[in-house]
Amino acid sequence: MADMNRTVQELLSDYAGALRDGSVPIFLQSLTRQEGQTIASSDEFWQATEVVRILNGVGFAGKVATADVGLFMSRVDANIVSRLKKPKTSSRTRRTTEGRSMTKPHRTEERV
Amino acid sequence: MNRRLRNALKGLMAPDGDRRRRAMEPFVRATFDMFIRYLYRYLGNEVECEDVLEDVYADIWENPERLCHVATERELLRTVYMYYMRKHLREVYRRMNRHVCLPQKDLENLTAPELGILETMSQAELTQVLARAMRRLKARERRAVELWMEGYSSRAIANELRTTVGAVKMLKFRTMLKLKSMLNEYCDKS
Repeated sequence: MADMNRTVQELLSDYAGALRDGSVPIFLQSLTRQEGQTIASSDEFWQATEVVRILNGVGFAGKVATADVGLFMSRVDANIVSRLKKPKTSSRTRRTTEGRSMTKPHRTEERV
Repeated sequence: MNRRLRNALKGLMAPDGDRRRRAMEPFVRATFDMFIRYLYRYLGNEVECEDVLEDVYADIWENPERLCHVATERELLRTVYMYYMRKHLREVYRRMNRHVCLPQKDLENLTAPELGILETMSQAELTQVLARAMRRLKARERRAVELWMEGYSSRAIANELRTTVGAVKMLKFRTMLKLKSMLNEYCDKS
């Protein structure tokens, strides 16, 4: 069987292309186990990805910067409103313990 | 940091949630461009960028404390990335992990890496430094990067440079490493 695993430079080229085209998930799914190991062990790959990201930011980010901020603001506001309606996650644990301590005496009261 | 952004940040520190909610609009208007460009580096997809940024702003509204001592734009970007963006960036592809042959740690590093000095530079500074580094490259290396940035595929670049696809991929890889060392040199000097 032919060896289909890509080399580090091929992987970098494909990652750069995927980042440029906005299809990183497809690149990630295309990785074989061996290629995953190649990436994990290659220091040069990680160094090169840093430059690829910077080039991506400098060269192509202009596309998104023109988005309608007003429209986006309404999305943020809707997100905030939904969080206002939901109880806070951080205080949930505290409330649960408080609840437990509150219910115990209540149950005993009932029994009495 | 410009006055508009400073005032917007001040508004976020209000203890009252409703006042903070009203203060979000000037903050979003002052920072949207900067943040979305920054996210685009990691995702390369505007839909995902906007989804992540929406959650980032809602997190900032909920817990703005991390931003109270921010004095410069660079510091703001760094703080927002570290405490608000990074966790959401990691979430983007986490669901895929089951189907990806890449360890979780490497997947996280690919989508939300540790911050280097380069990554906290402003867009203007980066553009300037990159242009300077590009001028120091050999003509063939520079042409390959320029064509790639224009949207050319490796095959199209190979046709343009009259070489093979494999050679182009190798050339790009070597050029990226060269650029990285040049950018590191700049960071060391400054």
